[in-house]
Amino acid sequence: MRDGIELAQRGLAVVALVTEPFWPQGDLIALSNGMPDVPRVRLPHPVAGTSSEAMSVLADEIAPRLVAVLRGDTTPDNASVGAAS
Amino acid sequence: MSELLDARDEADALARLHELGCTDGLPVVIPTPDRVERMVLATGLDGDVVLGEMGPLGAAVTIEKVAANAVMAGCEADHMPFVVAVVQAVLQPEFDLSEVQSTTHSIAPLIIVNGALGPITGIASGFGALGPGHRANASIGRALRLCMINIGGARPGVSDMALLGHPGKFAMCLAEAEAASPFPPMSTRWGAAPGADMVTVVGVEAPHSVMFVNDADDPDSPDRLLRVLAGVITNSGSNNLYLRSGAVVIALNPEHARVLADAGWDRERIAQQLVGLCSVKRWMIRSFNPAFVGAGDDDDDVAVLRSPDHVVVIVAGAEGLYSAVFPSWSAGGHGNIAVHQAVVTGQACEIPSVLMTG
Repeated sequence: MRDGIELAQRGLAVVALVTEPFWPQGDLIALSNGMPDVPRVRLPHPVAGTSSEAMSVLADEIAPRLVAVLRGDTTPDNASVGAAS
Repeated sequence: MSELLDARDEADALARLHELGCTDGLPVVIPTPDRVERMVLATGLDGDVVLGEMGPLGAAVTIEKVAANAVMAGCEADHMPFVVAVVQAVLQPEFDLSEVQSTTHSIAPLIIVNGALGPITGIASGFGALGPGHRANASIGRALRLCMINIGGARPGVSDMALLGHPGKFAMCLAEAEAASPFPPMSTRWGAAPGADMVTVVGVEAPHSVMFVNDADDPDSPDRLLRVLAGVITNSGSNNLYLRSGAVVIALNPEHARVLADAGWDRERIAQQLVGLCSVKRWMIRSFNPAFVGAGDDDDDVAVLRSPDHVVVIVAGAEGLYSAVFPSWSAGGHGNIAVHQAVVTGQACEIPSVLMTG
């Protein structure tokens, strides 16, 4: 999350990948750093320790969405948080 | 000036503080303005002095906020120089506090006090120094934790992501048993003069008991003690084995310390010996957690401790069979190292007696 914030602070297009149990932490870090709208996409948990095949499947599923968020073609999963803040 | 909470009475205030997540789950002393002001005066600093920012929330750490948390923790005015020093210590960038607060590991700050003032203030170093029954130890350690909760914003499952945690996350503070130690104070290794007041803070796992029975007739006893300690440091569950970066703390009880001192070894020699002993074959790491095996042959000897500077040897506890090892988290931008901070004393303003009843 912090990596995404620091890149966004440099004016780069970013999307942070946050697994489900860490979603509240992502919100807190984004809010406390004054960047509640940093785009983030929710991933299932766990990612670490899953098989290479499972990682490939997840990557194939998520990559088009990440590109779309980076391009601004679609809203990230935190869009409602950003709108509320 | 911090925001004030409206409450009907102290019981109502306590309930509100619990509801707001401002406690560690235990009852706290209600931080009324008079009580907080008394603690601010005990620091000799203005309440609005800013010590830094505390993560992960990034809030400003003012003396007033520290004082409020010290009140809640049950501190006395005499504890404040230590509380301020401890907070300053964890705010040093090398402590990586935001990461310490946020990790899924069970890391908690261990506070080690050196110098003449600690024992005078009642900071215990002997029997049960890390257990219940020592007000100064419990209050100073708890004050830091409450600062980490209320200023740093650590909340379990939201920002403090420790998967399980351990009771040391409530408080872990002790003094080195300098009077019983055969060595100069640990702080002298980090540049302090003997007798100078200093706190050392290291993020560590829960203490692991280390049983060792000395045999005065056995010339191998000192080496045997080190081998036992090395076995605990390199245990298969510890981050030390896999990340091979952070500082470990070894709390030798005075009897065990004398076993090593009588062999002519000082702290530096002990640390160097342990760095050499804390080495495992790469195949062992592969057999436990291959993700952390690193590059190289399976028959390589892999050093678990980075250098003698990452071995913090203290003398603490009472005489007997048991010492302790505090393994490391071994992560964070600076690799989970020990930080040190001088305790500034003699700065306290005179505390008006009218406030002492507040």
